[in-house]
Amino acid sequence: MSALVTFDHATLGYGAKKILTDISYEIPEGDFLGLVGPNGAGKTTMLRNILGSLSPLSGTVTVRPGLRFGYVPQRESVDSVYPLQVVEIVMMGRYDRIGLGRRPTKTDRALAIAALEHVGIAHLAEQQLRSLSGGQKQRALIARALVGEPTVLVLDEPTEGMDLVATTQILSLVRELHAQDGLTVLMVSHALNEVANYVERIALVLEGGFRIGRVDEIMTEATLSSMYKIPVDVKVFDGHRVVVARRVAAQPTTGAHTHA
Amino acid sequence: MLSTILIFREALYGALVIALACSVLGVYVVLRRIVFVGAALAQLSSAGIGLALFLGGLGIGGVLTSHPVAMSLLITMLGALFFGAGGGSKSGVPPDATIGVTYAGAAAAGILLISKATTGEAHDIFLQGNILGMTLADTTVLLAVTIPVLLVHLVFYKEFLFVSFDRETARTMGYQVTRWNLLLYGTLGLVIAFAMQFAGVMLVFNFLVLPAVTGLLLAGSMAGIFTVAILSGLLASLIGFALSVPFDLPSGPAIIACSTVMALAAWVVRSLKR
Repeated sequence: MSALVTFDHATLGYGAKKILTDISYEIPEGDFLGLVGPNGAGKTTMLRNILGSLSPLSGTVTVRPGLRFGYVPQRESVDSVYPLQVVEIVMMGRYDRIGLGRRPTKTDRALAIAALEHVGIAHLAEQQLRSLSGGQKQRALIARALVGEPTVLVLDEPTEGMDLVATTQILSLVRELHAQDGLTVLMVSHALNEVANYVERIALVLEGGFRIGRVDEIMTEATLSSMYKIPVDVKVFDGHRVVVARRVAAQPTTGAHTHA
Repeated sequence: MLSTILIFREALYGALVIALACSVLGVYVVLRRIVFVGAALAQLSSAGIGLALFLGGLGIGGVLTSHPVAMSLLITMLGALFFGAGGGSKSGVPPDATIGVTYAGAAAAGILLISKATTGEAHDIFLQGNILGMTLADTTVLLAVTIPVLLVHLVFYKEFLFVSFDRETARTMGYQVTRWNLLLYGTLGLVIAFAMQFAGVMLVFNFLVLPAVTGLLLAGSMAGIFTVAILSGLLASLIGFALSVPFDLPSGPAIIACSTVMALAAWVVRSLKR
């Protein structure tokens, strides 16, 4: 399998601020990678380097020529004040193929409907986005990413703010798209427990630290305790891994000083 | 009443052109939540006129001061490019505060400059405009500016919509979002700079906001918003004008009052539908 994206000793950040240093890894074709870490750790910085909207401060991030990303933004970043039908939003995924100054055709509309069928909400095509539930909105945005016939499906916090049922349905849908359509998937999330049971590999981004590997390599007590710097247990229930932090004594927060 | 209106028909044509152009651009202004950028640009435009009159009185500035619209256009376009490029969002100052600073500074500068200018009209002309003074030649100039702007918006509707609705996804699909924003803000600045000469800050601001709000309240699609916004902008101009002439009311505020009544009526209709 050839690499679609290659990080080679890349230092990532903004301006003079380094967020992640000396990052080297590849995203091969057919990968199902979860980019996991808390808010502010550098997930978005890494994602923006992959998508090309940010350049590394040093080293290289190489994207295979001709690669098409199907980007699914955070649901809340899509403004529901616009009175747009679901099918109109899905057609946006083909705008770059339609060309500058041209209008979508019947074919584009048919492809948008097909993409909506693929994610199970074709019946909502003519509804307005703002009338949809969180899970339905997420499916619509996934359909928009798919209609552009991407090489890599990139999802940014796809389950943020969703309940258990909607979360499970969306993650199952993404796994199906990977398994049945052979899509390479990159899923960004802060929720390790959610992502770990769906993806094949995990890239763990913590403040100043980065570790990537297969799920069974990353989801060990030794690795996670070392990365999170607190003792954690990894339990397996019916084939599902769950990470539980052990109770620890309250520590003074950074910046609180004690004097000897 | 009709005969009185007909005396001022040239001014009415001008008002209708301004209403049309601002109502179309106002849809983006309202949906993108940059209403006060429109107000700040209108104030910058008035500051540009003030600067031109002030410098002109001192006998400096050449073309920029002999034609105040040129200075107004320059200052407004600089403001449009500034806001289109992010409005100093990386400076740490909240975007709405930057807009507020621009608005306040430009408003004060316009008034101070005109008060010290040896030529020019009273500063309240900036606020109220002088729409009744418009001639066919003025309307022709307005058309020469607004027709290309509206054509750009017609041709690139899809692109403007996408970068307004979801800039992150547009960026990942290769859209040069900043360039599209600059074009959008540039067309906005162009229309505001020219409309300001005749309509004044208040009326331009009205046309940028109220018709689009009426459209947003009544329509269920983008095409519907544009249609209702244009129709309500034109209708408010027509009714406001028709009422202002025989009743000796200032035209600008009369048009704004009509726009406000339409927006309130739209809000009532929308509330009843729910």
